[in-house]
Amino acid sequence: MTAPAELDIVTRFGTFTVDPADVVTFAHGLPGFERCRRFVLVSAPSLDPFTCLHGIDASEPSFLTLDPRRVVPDYDTPLGDGDRHRLGVAADDALLWLAVVHVDDHDAARVNLKAPVVINPRKMVGLQVMAADTAYATDHLLDGA
Amino acid sequence: MLVFTRRRDEAIVIGDGIEVRVLRTGRDAVRIGVTAPHDVPVHRREVYAAVCAANQSAASVPVTSLEQIAGRLRLHPPPEPVE
Repeated sequence: MTAPAELDIVTRFGTFTVDPADVVTFAHGLPGFERCRRFVLVSAPSLDPFTCLHGIDASEPSFLTLDPRRVVPDYDTPLGDGDRHRLGVAADDALLWLAVVHVDDHDAARVNLKAPVVINPRKMVGLQVMAADTAYATDHLLDGA
Repeated sequence: MLVFTRRRDEAIVIGDGIEVRVLRTGRDAVRIGVTAPHDVPVHRREVYAAVCAANQSAASVPVTSLEQIAGRLRLHPPPEPVE
């Protein structure tokens, strides 16, 4: 008998050990990283206040992510019927919303509030919402938010 | 590229269950209706491209930025968990 192997995740933000049960499937990957279908979300004191969404397929992309409500407290992006279906959302599912952080050419931190990553922890599936009609920007300035 | 001429209310069908219909035409714009199975995401190309660019940039955030960003952030407190 062998115990379920733990997964060592090597990111540029550190090496973390995760449970294989924590792997989240993105059926279509993320835009720009369509071939990466499996991700893990790493929380660690060294990353706080961020979490690291790390791909374990293809080019193994790593993203710093943040709860968008820590940037805009009343943050609300509606989830369309198609996205709800793809996430397998049931009425009482608590979804996990993540905004992806990037750094611009002037070294300013920005966060993508227009296209949040949404994970349904009950199904361990996720996707990046592609909202066209939203006032949020892909490059909301994070510094001093 | 396949090129079609379609009039208003005419459509094309792609594969199994994807239909693209011309709803209205104007001088500079065409209103299009897309019917697709739920597991097929449909996006405006420029929105998808903008998110691609943001993701590409995000995937190359240098590790040195982490502490710098975190150090100068003033975030709102974490929201209360919903019971």
